[in-house]
Amino acid sequence: MCEVRMSDIHFSYNNNVAIDNISLTISQGDFVAVVGPNGAGKSTMLKIMAGLIKPTRGQVMIGGKDMATAKGHGLIGYVPQNYGKNAMGFPATVKEVVALGLTLGSAAAKKNRQAAKHITSHMMELVGLEQLQDRRIGELSGGQQQRVMVAMALAANPELLLLDEPTSGIDYEASNRIYELLGTLNKNLGITIIMVSHDIEKAVSYANKVACINRKLCFFGTSQEFDATHAQVRHLWYYTG
Amino acid sequence: MEFFQYDFIQRALLAGLITGIVCPLIGSFVVVRRQSLIGDGLGHIAFAGVTGGYMVGLYPVVGALILTVTGAVGIELVRRRHTEFADMGLAIFFYAGAAMAIIFSTMTRMPSTGLLSFLFGSIITVTIADVITIACAGSLVLAVVYFLFDKLMLMSLDEDIANVAGINTGMINMLFSILTAIVVVVGMTIVGILLVSALMIVPVATAHLLRVGFKATMGWAVVFSMSSVLIGLTSSFYLDVAPGGTIVMTAILLYIIMTLVRQCIALKERREDPILSSPGNK
Repeated sequence: MCEVRMSDIHFSYNNNVAIDNISLTISQGDFVAVVGPNGAGKSTMLKIMAGLIKPTRGQVMIGGKDMATAKGHGLIGYVPQNYGKNAMGFPATVKEVVALGLTLGSAAAKKNRQAAKHITSHMMELVGLEQLQDRRIGELSGGQQQRVMVAMALAANPELLLLDEPTSGIDYEASNRIYELLGTLNKNLGITIIMVSHDIEKAVSYANKVACINRKLCFFGTSQEFDATHAQVRHLWYYTG
Repeated sequence: MEFFQYDFIQRALLAGLITGIVCPLIGSFVVVRRQSLIGDGLGHIAFAGVTGGYMVGLYPVVGALILTVTGAVGIELVRRRHTEFADMGLAIFFYAGAAMAIIFSTMTRMPSTGLLSFLFGSIITVTIADVITIACAGSLVLAVVYFLFDKLMLMSLDEDIANVAGINTGMINMLFSILTAIVVVVGMTIVGILLVSALMIVPVATAHLLRVGFKATMGWAVVFSMSSVLIGLTSSFYLDVAPGGTIVMTAILLYIIMTLVRQCIALKERREDPILSSPGNK
């Protein structure tokens, strides 16, 4: 059970408030799109959920465990923003990067060479990159690199997948493929997905829940509810923040 | 061969080949972490350690080891705080090392020949004890790289992902920095800072041109590095020139040859590609 519970989360740096008392509970199997204007604190909130930033106040529980315990159990998969910058010139093949995901997961799969090989192949097949397995990641397009990162995260068999702007800087077709892949992973494997996105229309159409933030939590509910109150929420973003 | 009959050549070859294996292993991670000048930076700090150690009556190598490991820890702490300017911290420590070395050397009036031997070392003058010391440092590097390979590779790719997975990135980074410092100090005093710094980077750069995977790049870097030691040492013996410099120039020559081969392959691919070779794309 991988429920994400954020209680009274507050984060500020240099007296600037980035996250102001956000509390929300994301259930097992949810696909949540985190949306909001630039500088709203979306990525900061995701990094707090990933345990990369400690909140100034409040607590995050993942699957009933505190952050320190959850991190050690390989429950969380994380796909960072602007991955392409790191990939440029990195001398690793798609296969090598996906196999690295096993380092993040259970020790059992790592030790069994045959199992590790099978998991790696399966993950590459799942994201549609088996044909490119021997290519270096720096030679791939932005969309393909993002799919490699998703495959690597999946190789660890996470219960929660956190993605920071997975489609930024990627063309229309490639971003569609990533959304479709995430939708399939959520439906078929039951992985809880929390994704920060600027592409509101597209993200909301694939997610079943939406968290709209502008330092505070402006809205948290189903995609249908979000669609119904869209104009009102937009007003909240820009005038009450 | 007459060349291999001399004891000093056998020792030089052993020390050189161990350095040739160890340096690219460390260098493969150093290059992708964008810290290619760390060997030189730590070398300057080690130089300050040698002069500082001499000043306070400490065995110079011990002085170098203490100050270089401290410097490596400092560089890592600065890198952690300013990830976007990782090379800036390295430059600060680099200049601090050079400045301290100049101040200490004028204060102690250490003989310049002694200073130069520590700074440049000489692969031809290595003793059995030196070979054992460098073999111990080499074994330590091999063990750490073997057991932490996946984690080091993942952290070089993206530290945040490793962090989220619960990997103690701080501890591993610190261990890697200290290991680099040990290799630099041990290598510097035995075979010279030039050889250690160059073999950490140049063979890795040559292997990158092959455009193969991470493990294969690492393997090829070791092959290029060992070939440079073998060819360089043999040439220096027959041409009667400095061995350290000849080994480094051999490594650079291999890099140039590989770059030209790469260019020829790219040109051939361009000619054979119907789209790229069309008049509009010329």
